[in-house]
Amino acid sequence: MDESPELVSLRNGTKVTIRPMVAGDGPALLSFFRGLPEEDRQFLRDDVTRPEVVERFVAKLDDDSVIPLVAEHEGRLVGDGTLHRTRHGWAVHVAALRVVVDREFQRSGLGTALAHQLVRRAVGLGLDKLVAEVVDNQIGARRAFEKLGFHQEATLKGHVKDIHGAKHDLVIMANDVSHIWERMEALVADYSPTAGD
Amino acid sequence: MAKSEIRVGGLGGQGVILLGHIIGKAASIYDSKHATLIQAFGPEARGSACSAQVTVADEAIGYPYVKSPDYLVIMSPDAYTQFAPQLKPTGTLLYENELITIDDRLPAGAKALGIPATRFAEELGRRLVLNIVMVGFFAGVTGLLSKDAMEKAVKGSVPKGTEELNLRAFRKGYEYGVELIGAATVTG
Repeated sequence: MDESPELVSLRNGTKVTIRPMVAGDGPALLSFFRGLPEEDRQFLRDDVTRPEVVERFVAKLDDDSVIPLVAEHEGRLVGDGTLHRTRHGWAVHVAALRVVVDREFQRSGLGTALAHQLVRRAVGLGLDKLVAEVVDNQIGARRAFEKLGFHQEATLKGHVKDIHGAKHDLVIMANDVSHIWERMEALVADYSPTAGD
Repeated sequence: MAKSEIRVGGLGGQGVILLGHIIGKAASIYDSKHATLIQAFGPEARGSACSAQVTVADEAIGYPYVKSPDYLVIMSPDAYTQFAPQLKPTGTLLYENELITIDDRLPAGAKALGIPATRFAEELGRRLVLNIVMVGFFAGVTGLLSKDAMEKAVKGSVPKGTEELNLRAFRKGYEYGVELIGAATVTG
């Protein structure tokens, strides 16, 4: 897999480097998560302001069920994107994408750029289907995923609560990338009605 | 290298023809050699016998058919049964060693090198790339064509979006081949 950093130019011309997370990213990652407003952190699965949680993230870098990327700008982390997959069972062909972006970099195209790289890596791993969870009022995030080929596949009613205690629907977005492999399947079919010896 | 004759054999759906095509493309387009490809299919597509004949040479090739190959790349037991006796006594068999068992059909003196290509392909995420693992194995074991040319040929022959996994499959087979050759050299 191509692990080299990629320099991305955002809508406002700002340059950001997207690269795989490395073991030394712990302190910068903690600082990034602590800088997120509480309402953004509310929708994350872990309490990422706790050092031990972030240490756990960077300690699992050799675990191939999680592929983490970070976005770096002028020496600080401004985005985090992860691809989560199971290595056993009935959903080995599916991966979930999670993307978090610094407030200052939201609506700049950084979330889309991170998600795009994760989709590319997922295809490179031979996966068939990608899913992403978006809260109903995260319009920008939904649009970003739609641009990458995701569509709304399910809605879990009143599934999440914001910091004020208000319930929101959780939208499950999905992207079937198996068609890419259908072309490969056709290529290795070894059949041509006009050839032979 | 004056002229090398290669026979690729397997089942329809294993990517036999693509494997031969990539070797020929690497030779003729990226390594400035000459190459020919002849492809043969069974009466039905998937699951039937399928083979490709590839000739690679420094000079123009006058006769493209492979009767007695220097290299035999085999991915199914039926193909082994059919083509093993045709291998030159000084030739090399490259085979999928979890599908095929070597027996006395192989000419005395011929070398046989196996790779669990199907398992490797499955571990990489797609059984479909079995043939690309074999392409890498061929490149690593034979050294007939440059690694760079073979990688370019893989990248230029597979569908858009699948390049990364196919290149990983190629490198898996290549590294396994290089290691196997190294081990064979050390142990004598």
